[in-house]
Amino acid sequence: MRHVKPLMPSMTRMLHTSALLIFGLFLTACAVNETATVKVGPDGTTQILESNSGLLSASLEITDSKVGYAGNLMKAQVTLKNASRSDLTFRYKFKWLDKDDFEIAIDGRPWTPLTITPYESKSVQAIAPNPTAKSFRIMVQD
Amino acid sequence: MKLIKISAVVMASLMMVACASGPKISYGDATAVETTTTGFGSTDLQTIAATLVDDLVSFPPVVQMTATRRPVVFVDKIKNKTTEHIDTESITDTVQTKLLKSGKFRFVDMTAVRQIQEQMQFQMDSGMVDPSKAAAFGKQTGAEFMLYGNMSSIVKRNDSTKDVYYKFTLKLVNLESGIMEWAGEKEIRKSGEKSFFSL
Repeated sequence: MRHVKPLMPSMTRMLHTSALLIFGLFLTACAVNETATVKVGPDGTTQILESNSGLLSASLEITDSKVGYAGNLMKAQVTLKNASRSDLTFRYKFKWLDKDDFEIAIDGRPWTPLTITPYESKSVQAIAPNPTAKSFRIMVQD
Repeated sequence: MKLIKISAVVMASLMMVACASGPKISYGDATAVETTTTGFGSTDLQTIAATLVDDLVSFPPVVQMTATRRPVVFVDKIKNKTTEHIDTESITDTVQTKLLKSGKFRFVDMTAVRQIQEQMQFQMDSGMVDPSKAAAFGKQTGAEFMLYGNMSSIVKRNDSTKDVYYKFTLKLVNLESGIMEWAGEKEIRKSGEKSFFSL
């Protein structure tokens, strides 16, 4: 009869670590991106409606927002600041609302990728799809 | 101890089942960022259209020109100077739709000229349409402006990295005077690294 050698304690630990790593990888694969929404009123004041993304709310600040007009089309500018010590890559998207808060041209604008270096501010702009737009939202997704 | 190990294995299996047993086909967000390859993709098309339309409708002389009237525009083909097969008509279609919906411009559709002609011929000659209600020949509006452009790319690669640079230029020319009223450009840079599995 052959003698089976028991596993060394260090080997067992290694196996446990590998199992944990694989488990962690599965968790990452299933993670869902979260979204933060900021509403900017016609007077230019910003209001964070939802901020369920821990990463973004801690690292990204909306430092300024402006509303203007190109003819009768609303023009929006939002300044985003990376308040963290590392590069921040995320996507943003503008949504336009009419006077009754109905969204105009749903899916009219794409998610746009943007990278901001540490402590840098970047401005993003958009023009309303038609003259009925009276306010806008900027969605930020990590 | 054994119980903990069994629970961990069961939980891991459940996670695997939850991740792997979903439907193979699913609908996604059409406006999501697409990074499958460095080739021209939906995000590039949407970004180009959104940027150039924003640029055109906010250009001060165009704002002034479209304040009281909606000029008629004809869209020419976009020259594809890249090494890829890109449906440039799809880009101009998106630009045209956005401009039309902005209420600033109107368009004549040169891709439907033959069909329009056939329909008008039918209305005039078939004897089936009330002549007083038939669309008359020679009443169509001529375009005042032409929208056209180019698309080019520079591709560089080494053993591990591929870098693609796209440049899309769109121009608006007054057909009568030949003056270029507006030109807009959108540049896109995409980089891709060979993954471990593709080596």
